[in-house]
Amino acid sequence: MGTDTPISALSDKSKLLYTYFKQNFARVTNPPIDPIHEESVMSLVSFIGPRPNIFDLEGVSHQKRLEVRQPILTNEDLEKIRAIGDMDTNQFKTKTIDITYPADMGAVGMEAAISAICEKAEAAIAGEYNIIVLSDRLVASDRIAIPALLATAAVHHHLIRKGLRTSSGLVVETGEAREMHHFAMLAGYGAEAINPYLAFEALAALQAEGEFPAEVDAREVVYRYIKSVGKGLLKVMSKMGISTYQSYCGAQIFDAVGLKTDFVKRFFFGTATSIEGVGLSEVAEETVRRHRDAFGDDVVLRKALDVGGEYMYRIRGEKHARSPDVVVDLQHAVRTKDESPETAQDRYNSFAKRVNTGENGYLAIRNLFDIKPLGAPVPLDEVEPAVEIVKRFVTGAMSFGSISREAHTTLARAMNRIGGKSNTGEGGEEPDRYKPLPDGSSNPLRSAIKQIASGRFGVTAEYLVNADALQIKVAQGAKPGEGGQLPGHKVDWIVAKTRHSTPGVGLISPPPHHDIYSIEDLAQLIYDLKNVNEQADISVKLVSEVGVGTVAAGVAKARADHITVSGYDGGTGASPLTSLKHAGGPWEIGLAETHQTTVLNRLRSRVVLQVDGGLKTGRDVLIGALLGADEFGFSTAPLIAAGCIMMRKCHLNTCPVGVATRDPVLRKRFKGTPEHVINYFFFIAEELRGLMAELGARNLKDLIGRSDLLDQKRLKDHWKSEGVDFTKLFYKPEPLGGDTLYHSEFQNHHLEAVLDRKLIELAQPALDSGTAVQIELPIRSRDRSAGAMLSGALARKYGHEGLPDDTISIKLTGTAGRAFGAFLARGISIDMVGDANDYVGKGLSGGRIVVRPSDKATFVPEKSIIVGNTVLYGAIAGECYFRGVAGERFAVRNSGAVAVVEGTGDHGCEYMTGGVVVVIGQTGRNFAAGMSGGVAYVLDEDETFHDRCNWPWSISNRCRKKKN
Amino acid sequence: MGKVTGFLEIEREEPRYEPASDRIRHFGEFTVPMSEGRVVDQAARCMDCGIPFCHGDTGCPVNNQIPDWNDLVYNGDWEEAARNLHSTNNFPEFTGRICPAPCEEACTLNLEDTPVAIKTVEQAIADKAIRSGWIKPLLPKAKTGKSVAIVGSGPAGMAAAQQLARAGHDVHVYEREPKAGGLMRYGIPDFKMEKDHIDFRVSQMEAEGVTFHYGVNVGVNSPLTDLQQRHDAVLLAGGSEKPRDVDAEGTHFNGVHFAMPFLVQQNRRLGGEDVSEEIQLTAAGKHVVVVGGGDTASDCVGTSFRQGAIAVTQLDVRAQPPELENKLTNWPNWAVKMRTSSSRAEGAIREFAAGTMKIIGNAKGQSRALNAPASIASANPLPGLSLLSRRTRSCWPSASPIRSTMAC
Repeated sequence: MGTDTPISALSDKSKLLYTYFKQNFARVTNPPIDPIHEESVMSLVSFIGPRPNIFDLEGVSHQKRLEVRQPILTNEDLEKIRAIGDMDTNQFKTKTIDITYPADMGAVGMEAAISAICEKAEAAIAGEYNIIVLSDRLVASDRIAIPALLATAAVHHHLIRKGLRTSSGLVVETGEAREMHHFAMLAGYGAEAINPYLAFEALAALQAEGEFPAEVDAREVVYRYIKSVGKGLLKVMSKMGISTYQSYCGAQIFDAVGLKTDFVKRFFFGTATSIEGVGLSEVAEETVRRHRDAFGDDVVLRKALDVGGEYMYRIRGEKHARSPDVVVDLQHAVRTKDESPETAQDRYNSFAKRVNTGENGYLAIRNLFDIKPLGAPVPLDEVEPAVEIVKRFVTGAMSFGSISREAHTTLARAMNRIGGKSNTGEGGEEPDRYKPLPDGSSNPLRSAIKQIASGRFGVTAEYLVNADALQIKVAQGAKPGEGGQLPGHKVDWIVAKTRHSTPGVGLISPPPHHDIYSIEDLAQLIYDLKNVNEQADISVKLVSEVGVGTVAAGVAKARADHITVSGYDGGTGASPLTSLKHAGGPWEIGLAETHQTTVLNRLRSRVVLQVDGGLKTGRDVLIGALLGADEFGFSTAPLIAAGCIMMRKCHLNTCPVGVATRDPVLRKRFKGTPEHVINYFFFIAEELRGLMAELGARNLKDLIGRSDLLDQKRLKDHWKSEGVDFTKLFYKPEPLGGDTLYHSEFQNHHLEAVLDRKLIELAQPALDSGTAVQIELPIRSRDRSAGAMLSGALARKYGHEGLPDDTISIKLTGTAGRAFGAFLARGISIDMVGDANDYVGKGLSGGRIVVRPSDKATFVPEKSIIVGNTVLYGAIAGECYFRGVAGERFAVRNSGAVAVVEGTGDHGCEYMTGGVVVVIGQTGRNFAAGMSGGVAYVLDEDETFHDRCNWPWSISNRCRKKKN
Repeated sequence: MGKVTGFLEIEREEPRYEPASDRIRHFGEFTVPMSEGRVVDQAARCMDCGIPFCHGDTGCPVNNQIPDWNDLVYNGDWEEAARNLHSTNNFPEFTGRICPAPCEEACTLNLEDTPVAIKTVEQAIADKAIRSGWIKPLLPKAKTGKSVAIVGSGPAGMAAAQQLARAGHDVHVYEREPKAGGLMRYGIPDFKMEKDHIDFRVSQMEAEGVTFHYGVNVGVNSPLTDLQQRHDAVLLAGGSEKPRDVDAEGTHFNGVHFAMPFLVQQNRRLGGEDVSEEIQLTAAGKHVVVVGGGDTASDCVGTSFRQGAIAVTQLDVRAQPPELENKLTNWPNWAVKMRTSSSRAEGAIREFAAGTMKIIGNAKGQSRALNAPASIASANPLPGLSLLSRRTRSCWPSASPIRSTMAC
């Protein structure tokens, strides 16, 4: 996510086969893992060799497998495996199969070569070999290497079809693999171990040239490379919530983007592919071209590597949607619109033309779409006015902290003025931006959409009630499944204050929302938020990949009011490079799937569907609408309008135009104004109106979901892109019984009879005038999110400061449902007699919670669970006292609450940044992982705590821990 | 990339010039090279932008991969930097000296700050590569057996010849003049670029198998059809020396000349060629008016001073541009702003909005004065002599001949 280069199938360059696949990542269920702070659950151990018979309980077969600690083999390791058959008394016999073929056979020769390799592998197993090494060591000017991934997957699937795969191990010796994604893909398609010999040789050569510090010798270089590949593999695996390499190996956790179905069926059976594209002949042609570049006599390449240009724009390199001209045209257009509207319009038209036509090569799959008219053209003045259209526009979630206050407020001002919506991002919002003005009018700096991400930074009851929409960011934006990190140097006192943390200390957003491990959990979070702020639409942000439609249907059933589907071609500068290139698909695919699935399941009318990811022009909006979007999100483009020049240095705090920096000197350089952003959105709206008039559509609503109006441009002269086919995208499902293809109904959130209605009624004197009240009520497990709606009502009136402690004193008896005391505001105290479920005190905002067993209880409280998992997740302030033991992930991401508990499960105090936790009893494993602030006191009676604490983090961040 | 915070810590620095009083006493190059360490500092200011505007449509016309070699220089790998630079540019020592550097205009730092001294870094890489002996003939792995004729040995002809030779073709360059280089040798004054740089490249190319044929004026003393018969392909890389005349009366008077003959003669003189047969065009002891405001005009100004002109006045038809452009609506494009070339800084009197209407001669046919209204924007040009009569009164002895060098 965050790249703006074309998908490989549309690129003019010869791309590696790996780049045709996108990594999958967990969305709602089976959440991603944090492989750094929860390393204890991860493993890279790989077994090479034939699999034993799982029914062989007596162990008669004596089948053995080689165990390696991690799957990247040094040259020495590989030679050991290759020569293992020479040893007496061992059961292994290794066969090396060459995966190169004679260059004079050209591209057409590859198919036969692959078949021959598959047959050789089959024959080897028949010949009692039980480890197969696929090797491209023999690559030379007269021998072309078959792409290692293709050879591996071909052999893997051939052996599966023959029923022989479990009879042999598969090891790959290749000069091709070097990047993280390459290793992940080889693993995903069956490689039990990989020897990247050329990467090692390149490193050794660099070492010999003195490129590394003196203490790093040739062995150390290889060791460090292997270690970093291992870390990277863990990251890629954890994105899908997979803990072990053994589970990942052969699991095919990838989508193909731009590969033909028959090609995928033959070599990558079971992998999803949605827009067709290239097949074996094109892949072979690309391989031959690369071989020619490498061994030919190209003057430029004779002594230098190809410039690439994948990440940074380079003339000879890959094309980028945001080229210098595109940025310049857009900026000059929005900056001169007021003085010289006509030349500004010309500049905008030039910008739009570059983006829309793909005149310098196809950059997005929508460049290949044609649009059929709805009817006869209509006069422009009959088309929906631009001021209505821009209300469908929103700006994307970019957190305050990652971008400067100047840039953030510029977007907010612009969107508030035109009636669109801006988004806080996950960094919270300074209260001075959302508190109404003294005259009671809405604050022009307020972001209408408040985001709730896994870090829960600054998510207080007050924050939630000051929103028109609440967005749950499911896949960490630009780096799905990875979590995020705001480096310490960007956390100045104001960011720290907004996020309720400590200046200078880095902040972690965990990979998963720890209160969303299933779709039911998501429904619960939606319910929590809706309780706090009934007026706000609850939005769920998903990332485009195959299967997003199914997830979206689940999200709609979980009663989200709004779903955002994000494409890969956003513009973030701070995404890890592996995610930047290899995670997330084009929004066209994800949006089409989401729209079709929700229509077919009669859910579409109930949700607003929004699309974002590299939208730039009116035509982009039109295509988004035709594929089913009601709303349109823009992030990078309005930021460019406000002055961003795509430095892609967002993570370094050195943004030279003051957009993505906290440096006060650099922030002064910010020259963007709300007018620039407004001008940009009106340019888009007017372009869209022009297109609508041509198509004969008066209202945008008439076009939403009309994917039947889309047609495909035929490419005749492109050497590899001719095979793309968008039929699946353009399929138009018919709405059933009164449903519409656009948003037309509202979700029923079932909030009529919640317990809080009664609480609010009883607490009215306190809410009205601060008069203390005492309430006693019974509670049952179906009373979920108790206290949330009351807190919303209180925060609306009294803000985060709330009322004096215990103003609203509530005693509840029974068993509380999930998310008890969520976002409880200051001034509310709940004495809960009985027990409570998961997520007690989620987002605690100053209230007090006591949970204690009934006097009649017969169990031993300090040995019994009294509250469930993930208690105090994202708590900001307040107090909690639990007479008993809590479940797992107690006080995860606690920013400031004080809690006393008599024992916790695993991962207690994870990612905590503030507050105090007192554990009078045992903790589980991995205590304080990623904890960068606050204090934890643990009673360590049997002196075993040392082994259960994740010390390095705690110590390095000077978190004090006292042995009591 | 260079140093992450380099642009915040290091000031832009360019090579200094010899003082004008010294440099106009000779025709040689006059920049004082910067030490290697200071060049490295300048390279450190590069931010390795996601979109390097310096490189590409908005910046470098030859697509130099500027951020890449800035980084290499910052990290001390000059040899790789030279290799990278030569991958886009056959003769960086030429462009490092005489290019107007649109890359620096387009540099991201030029938006809010001062641009990276790209041209300085480029020249430093190129010069170091030559000094260190890294520039060697690059021979093709195999010859194609094809032969190509190139007409003209200016920058385009030379670059094409080098590339085609390296691709394995047999290349023949046909040049009208006695030496190679075209406008680079005969048009550009030595004080901007000394000509041994061209000689070095010619010898490199000869070693790469390029054959230069001098004194062949294709279409004049050698028919094109001959070339077509002898070679598989012919590339026409001739220059454009046809001057743009001024639409004014009196250009026929003595002492009115176009820029090129004036500059070429001086270059021939310095290059040791025989110019005794020609009419001697020299500004020594004269008052010179240069009509035109561009780079060629500047070269005429500098050459005039070095030849010993008493005074040089330059007439620019355009209005005086602002000192600073509006960066927000102009960057990264080439800005129209007040620019003072080194030659102008040597003491030229500049007049703006001065269109040349008429050149007035005396009875002997010598030009005497020049009628240039002070404002071309005015609907009624000021009656004649407004500009020059003022000059005449103030500094031109009436007996002095006037040479006007027209630069277009």
